Amino acid sequence: MLSCRGLRKDYVTERGEVAAVAGLDLEIATGRYAAIIGRSGSGKSSLMAMIGGLSRPSQGQVTVDGTDIWSLSENALAAFRNKRIGYVFQFASLLPTLRLVDNVALPAMLGGDAGSSATYARAAALLGQMGLGGHLDAYPSEVSAGEQRRAVIARALINEPALILADEPTSDLDEQTEIEIMDELLAVNRERGTTLILVTHNLALAEQAEQIVHIAHGAIVA
Amino acid sequence: MRLLASLALQNLGRRKARSLLLIMAVAVASGVVFTGATLMRSIDSSMAVGFTRLGADMMVVPEGALTNITAALLTVEPTDLVLDQDLFARAGIASVGRAAPQKIARVEHSGIDSHHDSVDLIGFDPALDFTVRPWLVEKINRDMRQGDVILGAAREAALGSELLIFGKPHTVYGRLGKTGVGTHERGVFMTFDTFEALAGSVHGHGGGPPAVLQKGKVSGFLVELAPGATPLQARFAILSTLKGVKVVTGDSTMSGIRQGLAALLNGILALMVLMFTSTALMVSVLFSAIVTERRGELGLLKAIGARRGQIVGMMVIEAVIATGAGGVLGVALGVLVMRLYERSLVYYLENIGVPFVWLDGPRIVVVAAAAVVMASIIGALGSFYPAWRASRRDPYDLVRGEG
Ligand SMILES: Nc1ncnc2c1ncn2[C@@H]1O[C@H](COP(=O)(O)OP(=O)(O)OP(=O)(O)O)[C@@H](O)[C@H]1O
Ligand SMILES: [Mg+2]
Repeated sequence: MLSCRGLRKDYVTERGEVAAVAGLDLEIATGRYAAIIGRSGSGKSSLMAMIGGLSRPSQGQVTVDGTDIWSLSENALAAFRNKRIGYVFQFASLLPTLRLVDNVALPAMLGGDAGSSATYARAAALLGQMGLGGHLDAYPSEVSAGEQRRAVIARALINEPALILADEPTSDLDEQTEIEIMDELLAVNRERGTTLILVTHNLALAEQAEQIVHIAHGAIVA
Repeated sequence: MRLLASLALQNLGRRKARSLLLIMAVAVASGVVFTGATLMRSIDSSMAVGFTRLGADMMVVPEGALTNITAALLTVEPTDLVLDQDLFARAGIASVGRAAPQKIARVEHSGIDSHHDSVDLIGFDPALDFTVRPWLVEKINRDMRQGDVILGAAREAALGSELLIFGKPHTVYGRLGKTGVGTHERGVFMTFDTFEALAGSVHGHGGGPPAVLQKGKVSGFLVELAPGATPLQARFAILSTLKGVKVVTGDSTMSGIRQGLAALLNGILALMVLMFTSTALMVSVLFSAIVTERRGELGLLKAIGARRGQIVGMMVIEAVIATGAGGVLGVALGVLVMRLYERSLVYYLENIGVPFVWLDGPRIVVVAAAAVVMASIIGALGSFYPAWRASRRDPYDLVRGEG
């Protein structure tokens, strides 16, 4: 169960404060597939970052399974990001110096796993599942944008998170690839019961969701 | 830890030219520090030993001698002033254990050296000596007798071969090991009998033979304290019992040279501190830039669960590997440079009156290790702050490229 209470994010700029998220209440039940839609600049990414523990709210709370995440200590919050959240960014987000399989195994290793063969087997299996079985040893620059995005999804899954946050994961990809990647995400949601929150401009994708959150000017519109 | 180290290594490999430049810059700095420190410590310890290296605690010479303090004093300065050979035997001072009399004459045109350098002829009493024969590294297998000479380490001649001194044949009886005391290493040692037999050949300032060539007169004594006696006790006892003498201890002999060198060494030290500081600043500027350049990646690492300590650790390890490698390279360069210039350096130092012996191996290793550790500390200090600052930021800000 995810819940946001009175969530605000104000950015201080030279031209004054910008309220990217302006006092927002939201609840998403465990295992749900929720879609967040809204125009560019409406505050979707800011909201996702606060939910995922990546950006401290100016005000309000984010509670995941009863834990107020922004009241956690620095290290506990890092562990939360590591264990509970699988984040898929709007842009390419693999470390260029690591092979795909290392990138996928990285969250497990940061979490204290010694890089055992079991971790690598799991990373390889996830990449295989994403159709990248033949590219385990490839570096990010050696595969296509769509393949990179799939690797990011594999990485998001390595620690079996409770929550997958995908911020426009397919916006820069062709339609066929978009469908394939969405299928992967939805399969995880269905088969593993992982909560999936997806930001998208694609209304067709949003309509398949069990819950649609429409945001305008940092607030939910009915 | 292994993970962070391997990430750090990979990051170093990304910009090979930049990493190499960093390593080189640190190598130059730590090479200078290592070389400077080794030379300083070598000079310092060479001076600290002096005649103490030869086994003596102090030296007793005629009052009025020693106006010109040079390395030559580390044994007994050749001088026209003399003391009675049986001075100590007669006085019987309790705090003095052994007092070895020495006769020293600095002679020219002796025929020992083909060129016209002066040579120190040093006479000693085998019965009382404790500063010459302990240094014998090779000798003929028989007792020393009149006409025999022992050569300092800097002189070459086969054992048993003939050495002409003022045309008189002498036999090379033995050779001393390196002591680092200039006069000792270039000296020609002989018993008093042999020394006095040269009286007819050596001319002093007045034309006649110097007083030291007379029987029963010596240039000074090298003194070893009696067990349990302190240098202060001995000094008082000697000065109150004997007239017209001067007591020289290791420290006071060297103080003149030390003062001169202190300025030089302080200069080197200041240079080293400056070098250290500027290298630390350079590393910190470089790592501020590197952190800014990698902001996105650091944010990403935080986003997937890297703790602040891991972020800082990764950057610091990267810096420490680079600067530590620079330190190792610097030490290697320093060793190379000192090897290449060893001869001219030692020659120069001894020429200006500074006795010089290299620090012993273990100590050089300690200095080298200190240089490498210092270089690593520079890396750690220089990278810590920028990394720590970046690690405080929200991952989202880092990923978006702010901060
Ligand atoms: N770091 C920042 N500093 C200042 N203003 C910001 C910052 N990040 C976002 N904003 C502003 O906050 C508002 C919301 O931004 P956000 O990125 O959350 O929107 P979005 O809905 O994700 O847009 P898009 O669909 O284009 O990704 C925008 O007006 C944006 O200009
Ligand atoms: Mg966005």
